[in-house]
Amino acid sequence: MSTVLWGAALILSGGVAAVLLRRWARLADRLYATLLLAGGALGLVPAIETLGGSPASTASFSGSLPGGPWAFALDPLSAWFLLPICLAGPAAGVFGTAYLAAERGHRNVALAHALFAALLAALIGVVTSQSMIAFLAAWEVMALSAYLLVVFESEQLEARRAGLIYVVLTHVSTLALIGMFAAMSTTTEGRTFADFAAGSQVASTPRTLAFGLALLGFGLKAGAVPLHFWLPGAHAAAPSHVSAVLSGVMLKVGIYGLLRIIGLLGPAPLWFGWSLFGLGVISGVLGVLWALGQHDLKRLLAYHSVENIGIILLGMGVGVLGVSYHHPVVAALGFAGAVLHSLNHSLFKSLLFLGAGAVVRATGTRVIDRLGGLGRRMPLTALAFGIGSVAIVGLPPLNGFVSEWLVFGGLFSAARAPEALRFAIVGAAALALIGGLALACFSKLDGVLFLGQARAPVPGGLGVREPGAGMVVPMLGLAAACIAIGVFPMLVLDPARRVAESVMQVAAGPPDEWAAAAPRIASVALGVLLAIAVLTWLRSRLRHAVKPVVDQTWACGGLPLSPRMQYSASSYAAPLLAAFGALAGVPQAREATAFHSHPLDLIQDRAVLPTWRGLESLSQRLRQWQGGRIRWYLLSVVATLLVLLFYLMRWKGAV
Amino acid sequence: MTLGPLLALIVVLAVAPALPGLATRTRAFLTGRRGAPILQLYADLAKLIRKNVVYSRTTTPVFRLGPIITVASVLVAATLLPLDGHTALLSFSGDLVAFAGLLGLGRFALVLAGLDTGSSFEGMGASREVTVSTFAEPALFLGLTVPLLATGEFSLGGMLGDRLTGVWATAAPSLSLAAASLFMLTLAETSRVPVDDPATHLELTMIHEVIVLDHSGPELALILFGNAVKLALFGGLVVSLLVPRGGLPGWLALVVLVGGLGLVAVGVGVVEASMARLRMNRVPQFLVAASALATFGVILLLR
Repeated sequence: MSTVLWGAALILSGGVAAVLLRRWARLADRLYATLLLAGGALGLVPAIETLGGSPASTASFSGSLPGGPWAFALDPLSAWFLLPICLAGPAAGVFGTAYLAAERGHRNVALAHALFAALLAALIGVVTSQSMIAFLAAWEVMALSAYLLVVFESEQLEARRAGLIYVVLTHVSTLALIGMFAAMSTTTEGRTFADFAAGSQVASTPRTLAFGLALLGFGLKAGAVPLHFWLPGAHAAAPSHVSAVLSGVMLKVGIYGLLRIIGLLGPAPLWFGWSLFGLGVISGVLGVLWALGQHDLKRLLAYHSVENIGIILLGMGVGVLGVSYHHPVVAALGFAGAVLHSLNHSLFKSLLFLGAGAVVRATGTRVIDRLGGLGRRMPLTALAFGIGSVAIVGLPPLNGFVSEWLVFGGLFSAARAPEALRFAIVGAAALALIGGLALACFSKLDGVLFLGQARAPVPGGLGVREPGAGMVVPMLGLAAACIAIGVFPMLVLDPARRVAESVMQVAAGPPDEWAAAAPRIASVALGVLLAIAVLTWLRSRLRHAVKPVVDQTWACGGLPLSPRMQYSASSYAAPLLAAFGALAGVPQAREATAFHSHPLDLIQDRAVLPTWRGLESLSQRLRQWQGGRIRWYLLSVVATLLVLLFYLMRWKGAV
Repeated sequence: MTLGPLLALIVVLAVAPALPGLATRTRAFLTGRRGAPILQLYADLAKLIRKNVVYSRTTTPVFRLGPIITVASVLVAATLLPLDGHTALLSFSGDLVAFAGLLGLGRFALVLAGLDTGSSFEGMGASREVTVSTFAEPALFLGLTVPLLATGEFSLGGMLGDRLTGVWATAAPSLSLAAASLFMLTLAETSRVPVDDPATHLELTMIHEVIVLDHSGPELALILFGNAVKLALFGGLVVSLLVPRGGLPGWLALVVLVGGLGLVAVGVGVVEASMARLRMNRVPQFLVAASALATFGVILLLR
C-alpha cells in the first residue's frame, strides 16, 4: 500500500515541479510527464499484484489527524479502480503537456498541470482510503481541483456557467455523502470503513438511509440520468486531456463508491438493486439517444459517458439483485461486467477525448458539421479514434465487447431464475438498443469527422496536420490497451471475477462455463483479424485490379459533388431522432431557406432550470414584503403574535 | 472440431449465392415475369472478380477495407451457428452476443466505407442502414432469448442444436413466434421488401444498394457475397427454430437445412411479390412489431 502512496506523492511532486520550473518550459514538461508516468507505474505494480491474488495491504496514519486514524488499504476493489487512474491518468497528462503547450503564452499552463497532478493524487486517495475523514478529504480535493480545471478557459462564458453548475452539484454530492457517513455512524463509535461494516449489518432505518444517500451522492458523481445534467457542459468546457480524465476516470469513483458501500453494508435491499437496474436502463438509452443529437464533438462524447455509466449501473444492478435472490452466478457476472466495463470505458473514452482534443487543436472548432475529411491529414489520430469507436460500440474484437458480453451474460442467466429476477431480461433488449444507437452515433462521428471532404474552411485550413508524438503516442498506447483486452480477455476476466467476489463477499463457486469462454472469445477476435488478413492478401493477388482507375465520386452523371452536398452529422442522425420524437430533445426550426436544430438537455432545460426560475420569481414576489415600509413590518409582527396566541389557546390550553 | 460442422459451413457458403436468385426468381414468377436465372449471382461474382476497380479521389483505405471486414465478420459469425444441426465450430456461453456483434462490426465497416466517398447518396444510405439496424438489434436479441430460455443453453450451438429437439413439443408456440420475428429481421437485414427493394433503380429509394454505389469489381463481389451469406445465416436461424434437427444424422440434417434455406428464399420472394416497400418512416414500426412478436415468445416462457 505504501508504494501506492509513494506513487501519489511522485505525481504531486510532478505538479509542484511544473509550477517551480515554469520558466524552463521544456524541462518542466519533461520532468512533469516523467514523474506522472513513474507515479502511475508505482500505483500499477501493487494493484496488479493484489488483483493477482496477493493479500490486501494496509497503511495507517494516526497522530493529530481529525477523525481518528487515517487508514488506507489496497484490496481487490481498490486495486481494480487504481488501474484506470494509473493507466488513463498519466497518458492524459503526457498528452496535456503537448496539448497545452500552444496556450503557454496567454494562460497559466503550469497551474493547470499542478491541478491535474492534484486531481490524480486525490483520485488515488479516494479509491484507497478506508476511513471517513480521509475519504471525504480526498473527495473534496478531487472535486475542487476538477472544478478549477473545468473553468481553466475562464474567459469563456460557457466554461464559467458549466463550472458553476458543476461546483454546486458536486457539493450536493459531498453533502449526501456526509449524510451517508452520519447515518452509518449511528451504530458504531469508530470512523473507519471496517467499523461501519461491523455496525451496519442488520436492517435498520439508518442503513436504509445510508443506501439512499449513497445512491444520491455517488449516482450524482457517476452522472446517472436524471442527475447527469452537470456532466456534458463541464466535460465539454474543460481542456481535452482533462475531459479525458473527468469522463474516463472521475465518473468511475461514483461507481467505486457504490460498490464499496455494497461491500461494506452487506446484502443490499431489493429496492436498491432494482433502482440501480432502472437507473442503468434509463441512463443507457437516454444517454446515447441524447448523444446522437449533439452538434458539439465533446458534448457528444460526454453524453456517451452517461450511456456507459448506464451500462455499468445495469451490470451492478444485476449483481445486487443476484445477491439478493441468492444466485451467485448471476451476481458474479453482473458485478464482473460492471467493473470490467468501468476499466474499458476509462481506456476508450480517454482515447476518444484525446482524439477530440487533437481534432480541436488542429482545426480550432468543436462543431462536428464544420469538419470533414480529416483522415487524410491526420491518419494516426483517425486510426486511434476509429479503434476507440469500435471499442465503445461494443463490437468484437475490442474490449468493449468483452464487458458487454459479461453484462448480457448476467441478464441471460437472470432470465432463467424462478423469482422476479427473471424480468431483468428487459435489460437485454435495452442493452441491444443501446448498442444499435451507439453504432449509429459513432459511424456518424467517424464518417463526418474523418471521411469525405472538409465541410467548411477551418481557420488555417491548409495547416491541419497530424499532431506531434506527445499527443499521438498516448492515443496509440490507449488504443493498444483496448486491443489487448479485446483479443486476450483472459488477462482481465479472472481479476474482474475476484473483484466481484470481494464485493459480494460470497464465493461465486468454481469456474463455470462463463469463465471457460475466455479462450473462445479470443478465437473469435483472432478469427476476425485472420480472416481480414487472408482476404486482404487474396485481394492483393488480383493483379488486374490493383491499379485502379481513379475518378470523382459518382454523382448521377452530373456535376462534381461539392463538400456542401455531403450528408452532415445532423442529417445523418435525423431519421433516428425523428423515430424517437420529443424524447430525443432536438427541436427543429424550419424557414423557407434555412433549417436549424438545437439539442436541449431535457432534464436541465425542461425541468431543473424552469423550477429554478419559478423559485426565483416566487422569491421576487416575497421581496415586496421587504420594501422598507415600517407598517408592513408591524403588521407582520402583529399577525405572527396573533397566530401564536391562537395556537397556544387552541391546542396547548395555556391561556 | 469435427468434419461435420466444417462441411456444413462449406456447403452453406457454397449454396448462399443461390438464395437471392431464388427469391428474385420467385418474385418474378408470381408477378408474371420470367426473371433472371437462379444462379445469376454466381455469374455476377465471377465477372466482378475479373474486373478492374474504379476508386473515387475522395476515398481512403477505409473504402477498400470496408467490404473485406464485412465478409470477414460474416464468415466468423457463421462459425457460431450449428449448421449441421448438432454443434457449431465455435461455441461458448453468450456467443449470441458475439454473433450480433460480428454482424454489427461488418455493418460499421460498410457504412464507413460508404461515407468515405463523400457522396450524399452514400450518406443517405448509411443513415438509413443504421436507423434500420438500430431497431433490428433488440428484435434479434429477444428472438434468440426464446431458444435460450426454452433449452437453458447459453450458446447458439447448444440452444439451436440437440437440446432443441427435446423441448420443441412444449415450447413450440414461443419458438414459432421467434421464428416469425427472425423472418421479419431477415427481410430487414438482407435489404428485401418491405424494408428495402433490391430491384429499385432510383438512388433516393435505396438503402443497402446506395451505400455501395461507388464500389466496383472484386470489392463489389465481396459485398454481394457477404449479403448472400447473411441471408443464409438469418435463414438458418429461422430453419433451426422451426425444424429441430437434433435427431437426424448429420447428412440428412444438412439436406434439411439446405431445403429449408430454399423455402425461406421462396418465402422472401412471396413477400416481395405480395407487398410494396414501406415508407421509410414506417420501417421502425415494422421492426418494433418484430420485437413485439419475440417479446410475446419470451413472455410465454417466463411464466
